[in-house]
Amino acid sequence: MSDITNIPITTDRFDAIIVGAGPAGLSAACTLADGGARVAVIERGDWPGSKNMMGGLVFSQPTAQVAPEFWKKAPLERHITRREMWLTTGESVVRAAYESTDFGAEPYNSFSVFRSRFDKWLAGEARAKGAIIITETLVEDLLMEGDRVVGVRTGRPEGDLEADVVILCEGVNPFLAEKAGLSKGVKPESLALAVKEVLALPREKLEDRFNLDEGNGAAYEVIGEITGGIPGTGFIYTNRDTVSIGVGVILKDMVDQTAEAYALLERFKAQPQVQRLIHGASPREYAAHLIPEGGYRGMPRLHGNGVLIAGDAAGMVNAVFTEGANLALLSGKMAAETVLRAMECGSFEAITLDHYRQQLEKSIIMKDLKTFQDVTPFLSSHPHFFTMYPELASAAVKELLTVDSLSKADKMHLIIKLVRSQRPARKLMKDLYDGWRTFS
Amino acid sequence: MSDDRRNRLPSDDRDWTPSKLSVTDKLGLTKFKPDAEPHLSVKDKEVCQATCRRKYCTHTCPAQVYRWEEEEESISIAYEGCLECGTCRSGGCPYDNIEMSYPRGGYGVQYRFG
Ligand SMILES: Cc1cc2nc3c(=O)[nH]c(=O)nc-3n(C[C@H](O)[C@H](O)[C@H](O)COP(=O)(O)OP(=O)(O)OC[C@H]3O[C@@H](n4cnc5c(N)ncnc54)[C@H](O)[C@@H]3O)c2cc1C
Ligand code: SF4
Ligand code: SF4
Repeated sequence: MSDITNIPITTDRFDAIIVGAGPAGLSAACTLADGGARVAVIERGDWPGSKNMMGGLVFSQPTAQVAPEFWKKAPLERHITRREMWLTTGESVVRAAYESTDFGAEPYNSFSVFRSRFDKWLAGEARAKGAIIITETLVEDLLMEGDRVVGVRTGRPEGDLEADVVILCEGVNPFLAEKAGLSKGVKPESLALAVKEVLALPREKLEDRFNLDEGNGAAYEVIGEITGGIPGTGFIYTNRDTVSIGVGVILKDMVDQTAEAYALLERFKAQPQVQRLIHGASPREYAAHLIPEGGYRGMPRLHGNGVLIAGDAAGMVNAVFTEGANLALLSGKMAAETVLRAMECGSFEAITLDHYRQQLEKSIIMKDLKTFQDVTPFLSSHPHFFTMYPELASAAVKELLTVDSLSKADKMHLIIKLVRSQRPARKLMKDLYDGWRTFS
Repeated sequence: MSDDRRNRLPSDDRDWTPSKLSVTDKLGLTKFKPDAEPHLSVKDKEVCQATCRRKYCTHTCPAQVYRWEEEEESISIAYEGCLECGTCRSGGCPYDNIEMSYPRGGYGVQYRFG
C-alpha cells in the first residue's frame, strides 16, 4: 500500500535482515534503525498486517516502549475500560467484571485493534526511522555457510540477500527456524487454533448493547460449554463499529475429537447471552490463526551463529491471557539490542548472541512463560475445568440468588453437597491444588 | 428466532442467524488473491485411502479446503480459500501427510481487518 516502499531487491548488504513484519519484526526494525543499523524487513503479504489476525488487544505499556504515545497516531479501535470473564454452561453465565476509569485516560491500559491496519501503521513508523520494508516477498530459505546463517533466499528472481545477522520473526509456523535446525516444529498439544469473525454493528447500538460510554470498549473472555468440553476459550471484543468474536481450541484435542472450529464458533454465537450482543450484526470477515501455547517448555533454541528468533516463532505467548503481541514487541526489541551490541564487537557468533537469551531470562517474558508453562497440558488433562466447573459455579450462584424458603446457610450446605456429588472431595482438592500450582 | 426479536433487527441489515453462516459464506467475506500454483498437496494418496479412517483434514481445516471425493478415492484441495493458518502441517493431519507452504509473496489471503 502507498505508505510502504516496495523496493526492488538490490544486491546490497544489510547489517540485519528481519523476516516478518509483525509486532516482533517491526519492533526489532525500529530499534535497529534507531541504533543506526542498515536493516531490511521482508514480508510476504501485500502490506504488513495483511496476513495477520488476533483477538485482539494491544497493551499500552509494552507498545509505548517501541512507539511512544502511539495512541495519538496509531489506528486504534477502542480503549478498553471493562474486561469480563464469563464462565458459561451454555444456558447460564457467571461473570466477573473489572472496570476502571484509569483505563479510559492516558496512557490507557489496552486498545482493541485490527492487525491489518495496526501492523501497516507500525511498519510506517519503522520506515520513517530508516528501515527498509520489502513487501510481497516470501523468504523461502536461509543462506548458510556451514552452520552460520549469512542471509536469506527470497522468491524473487535474483532474490538472495546477505546480512551479518538474520532475525526470524516469522510467526507461529516456524518454517525457517526448522530449516535452521533451531526448532523441531510445534506440536499440536502446544498449539491452539483460533477462528474469528468481524461483525458490523452501528456504533450507538454497540455502545448500548455493551453498556459503554461513548468511545470506551469492552473485552470478554469466555470459558465453559462453548468449546464442547474441548479445552479452549471464546472471546468478544468491541471495536469502533464492529465486534470481533471468536473461539480458540487446543489443536490436539480438536483433532482427537474431530471437532470443527467453525462449528464451535457458530455454537458460541448462538448462545443466548452472546446472541443478545450480536444479533442482526452483519459479518464482514472470517479469519483463522494458530497460537503457540507451549510456554517455556515449547520454546525452540533462541539463537545460533548469525541468527536470532523472536515473537511467536519463539513460542512467546502467555497462554492464560493470550498476550503475545506484547511479548513479540518486547522480544523483538531485545533481539535488536543484542544485534546492536554484536555490531559493536563485530562478532555475530552464537556465543555473542547468547546475550539475547540472558536478557530474556531476566525479563518479564521468561518469568511469565515459566509461570504458565503447565497451563496448556493442565487444561488438556482436566477437561472438566471447561464443563463441570462452569456448571457448578452457575448452579451455586443460581441457588444463592433464588429466593425461596431456605436460609443462606442452608443454601451453602446444598451447594457444597452439589459440588461433592459432582466430583468427590478428594478429586476436587486435587484439581484445586493442581490448578493453583499451575496458575500461580 | 421469535417474531419479537426479528422486529427489532435493523432494517438495513440482513438476518444472519448463526446457523445460516456456512464456511462457504464465511470465506465469501474474506478477500483472497489466489496464485495459479497450489501451495498445498497430499504427500501419499494411499495413506488417505488405506490408513486414515476419519479423514481428519476435512474436519480440522478451518476453511474446509480439503474434501474427500468418494469416486476418486482421494482428497481434493481448494487451495484458493486457504487461510494459511498452518493447522494441516501441525497435527491437523495426524499422519503428517500434507505438504503445506505459504503461497508466493503477495498471493493468498488478504485480511482487511485481521
Ligand atoms: C485469535 C487470537 C487472539 C489473540 N489475541 C491477542 C491479544 O489480545 N493480545 C496480544 O498481545 N496478543 C494476542 N494474540 C497473539 C498475537 O497475535 C501474536 O502473539 C503476535 O502476533 C506475534 O507477533 P509476531 O510478530 O511474532 O508474529 P506475527 O504477528 O504472526 O507476524 C509474522 C509475520 O511474518 C510474516 N512471514 C512469515 N513467514 C514469512 C516468510 N517466510 N517470508 C516473509 N514473511 C513471512 C507473516 O506474514 C507475518 O506478517 C492473539 C492471537 C490470536 C490468533
Ligand atoms: S487427514 Fe491426512 S491422511 Fe487423512 S485424509 Fe487428510 S491428508 Fe489424508
Ligand atoms: S493452512 Fe489452515 S486454512 Fe490452509 S489448508 Fe491448512 S488448515 Fe486449511
